[in-house]
Amino acid sequence: MIVLQLVVNGVLLGGTYILLAQGLNLVFGVMGIVNLAHGSIITFVGVFTYWVVTQTNLNPLLLLPLVFVVALVVGGVLQRLLLEPLAKLGNRRELLSLMVTFGLSYVIVEMAINLFGSQYVSLPNLQETWTVAGLAVNEALVVAGVLGAVISGCLHVWLHYTASGKALLATSQNATGAVTCGIDVRRMRGISFAIGSALAAIAGVLLILILPLSAPTADTLTILAFVIVALGGLGDYKGAVFAGLLLGLVQSGVGYYLGGDVEVIVPYLLLIGFMVLRPQGLGQAAR
Amino acid sequence: MNLDARQVGQWIERRLSAPASAGVSGPRPLSIGILIALIVCAGSVPLVTSAYILQLATDLLTFAALAYSWNVISGCTGYLSFGQVSFFGIGAYATAALVMHTSVPWYVDAVIGATIGGVSAALLGTIMLRLRGIMFALGMLGLARILMVVFSNWDFIGGAAGLTLPAQLTPVAVYLAMWVAALAAFGLNYFLLRSQWGLSVIGVRDEEVAAAAIGVPTSWAKTVAFIMSALAPAAVGGLVAWNRSFIDPPSAFDPTLDLQVIVFALFGGIGTLWGPALGTVILVIVGEQFWAYLPELQLALYGVLVIAVVLAFPGGIVGVANRFGWLRRRPVAAPAVFPIVSRPPRPATPGSDTIIEVRDLTVRFGGLVALNNVSLAVRRGEMVSIIGANGAGKTTLFNAITGFVKPSEGGVFYQGKSVSDIPSHRRAHQGIARTFQIPRLMESLTVWENTLLAARHGRRKDAAVEQAAWALHTVKLDNLWLEPPGKLSPGQQRRLEMARALALDPTVILLDEVMAGMTRDEQGEIREVLRHFRDLGVAAVAGVEHIIAAIADISDRMIVLDRGKKIAEGVPEAVLRDPVVIESYLGKVS
Repeated sequence: MIVLQLVVNGVLLGGTYILLAQGLNLVFGVMGIVNLAHGSIITFVGVFTYWVVTQTNLNPLLLLPLVFVVALVVGGVLQRLLLEPLAKLGNRRELLSLMVTFGLSYVIVEMAINLFGSQYVSLPNLQETWTVAGLAVNEALVVAGVLGAVISGCLHVWLHYTASGKALLATSQNATGAVTCGIDVRRMRGISFAIGSALAAIAGVLLILILPLSAPTADTLTILAFVIVALGGLGDYKGAVFAGLLLGLVQSGVGYYLGGDVEVIVPYLLLIGFMVLRPQGLGQAAR
Repeated sequence: MNLDARQVGQWIERRLSAPASAGVSGPRPLSIGILIALIVCAGSVPLVTSAYILQLATDLLTFAALAYSWNVISGCTGYLSFGQVSFFGIGAYATAALVMHTSVPWYVDAVIGATIGGVSAALLGTIMLRLRGIMFALGMLGLARILMVVFSNWDFIGGAAGLTLPAQLTPVAVYLAMWVAALAAFGLNYFLLRSQWGLSVIGVRDEEVAAAAIGVPTSWAKTVAFIMSALAPAAVGGLVAWNRSFIDPPSAFDPTLDLQVIVFALFGGIGTLWGPALGTVILVIVGEQFWAYLPELQLALYGVLVIAVVLAFPGGIVGVANRFGWLRRRPVAAPAVFPIVSRPPRPATPGSDTIIEVRDLTVRFGGLVALNNVSLAVRRGEMVSIIGANGAGKTTLFNAITGFVKPSEGGVFYQGKSVSDIPSHRRAHQGIARTFQIPRLMESLTVWENTLLAARHGRRKDAAVEQAAWALHTVKLDNLWLEPPGKLSPGQQRRLEMARALALDPTVILLDEVMAGMTRDEQGEIREVLRHFRDLGVAAVAGVEHIIAAIADISDRMIVLDRGKKIAEGVPEAVLRDPVVIESYLGKVS
């Protein structure tokens, strides 16, 4: 019974992880860079949502369209101003784009701290626990898991059944080939970063309903997201779904048997361990 | 004629921008003067100034030591680290534990702390340095987190509550010790950026694969650099812990420390000798005035600064200064003028008759079979050409022979001995040299240093200089020796690839499409070198080539690969008339 309960928890936790990884994954797939500011967007929007809801008593889910659009625009602008100038720098691009998003993450985190404080906050909207067939099922995790699946599904439909999505997919698979097909790769990079930011913003609104967040935990989330993206095969959004579930399962098991301290470092251990066991690197396979 | 005029122009340019080609190896009197002045100033600061200035100077030195250490692994070696604070924390705790449990003098504690930092870097490096790029960067960030959790749960050193240390160090002692740490860290940078050995880590940064191919023990070079980058942070960590007389996991493994260090190094110029010092001095002094008014915005402004520097001047202050000809890196071990080389023709060292033998070699990449049960041999005195259409497995064959691809089945033998378990750089030492289809040159080094790096193995410094000069002279790149490879034409870049291969003094050279992208004249020059390879001490040459006309007449034997299989072998005239070969190239005529 315990094992079954852990599996349920793990799967639901995995849904949360998928939610927070897909934006990073999309940006990596198309732009080939890791957005180190990803986690900071999530926590910024998370604590912002908390602040708005406590001030106005609004239903947090009503904020979704607003933050989606704002993050879309801000993400697009940031990409054009900060990252596009690096696109032509050749092999120094990776290092410099890491630097830029690293700097950006501190700017966003400090903004969040100065505006909303640095304490852990959480919204009590989804705190119920249902009992299904003797298993405790947390309402918040169910919502997150379902939304993680829905968002991955939307992403799948968009990438495979719309013209703009197909163009984006083509760019992520082979940028040079995409150019020769008349796709504006520059625009695709902008779109991917904009959508990636918007997905992070949505994850922020939803995560604050599920778990306590504080602005300084941003890089923990970035790493979690990156671990999922790396395990799933860098830019492969279907792989990320499996990786998210895997990480959720491992973490729920480790947390139960080995304690909370170890649970916290599971993502790092997985990242280092996995990459050591596959020293040739998934990154190279993706290129 | 045109070319001559350009070369004269380049020569004049070099003379005018003197530092780039001053050609002095070793420290100049000016640098030594600056160093002495610094040391005198350092000694006198505690005597003449206030406690405030002393603390500011101590902070400055602390950050300089950390920025220089970060520069060792991330700037010089190219492994971007977001977790060097790990060693700061390890050193801090090691020193703290020594202070609490032993009674040795403080400076001994600091040295032991640094040693423990270095040892832990050696151990952690065996795992962490297998990661590349972003994996390494985030892996290091994760390492700091893991260590924080480990130390929080380790009661011997205070656990999560931290340790309070007995205050025994005077500010002057901390200050002077920080000077030593900062100077030591600077000295390590000086060593990496100015010595022949240092070329190895820069080679790893620019082109890790090519570095291994020209004999650089890349794992070793990376590990040494990683250890170097851990020493000063560990010592500094201990001194800071002592200075504050308190330490706990969050302050020992504080990720914002890495942010600051990266900002300082980036602002001054990553991978440069003076960048970290300039960045630290300017930003600490400016910051001291500025943050006093806006303490809560410090990290955000650092973030803005990082973005601004990357976008506006990615080379930092030193990068800007370079544009005016100041603070340029001088080529390592470059004599004042190109050495005149005369070496009598000499035959290859005698040995086994079969130089390279490949037996039943199969290489699979997932489901793709790149090489299918191929056997072939390259014998002493031969020039063998390997031809075949795209995807025939030619480059994979070379990669397997030089150790960059692991055979799925079969073996590779060199002079009768299996080399399957020998790493690439040792195969290069033993005499297997190669060039790359797409030139892999160290972009931030000069033509000279690219060649010198290959010439270093097993030679004393002056002999390496002579060897490099000989190799460059052989491929006629003497005139361009102080240029960066980026300024060479594609043909010249391939000649540089050849010079690097020759500089190894190899027994056999594997040329991967060395004539592609060359003009007729350049092809002629390479053909000239290849005709005389037996006088260069080389026993055999194997070349993959597409330009069949350029090699047919100088090859002794030709081997044809088609989709991973050997389909023909023999003298060029016969092979090129073989219907099977013609079909492989042109398709079947029905």
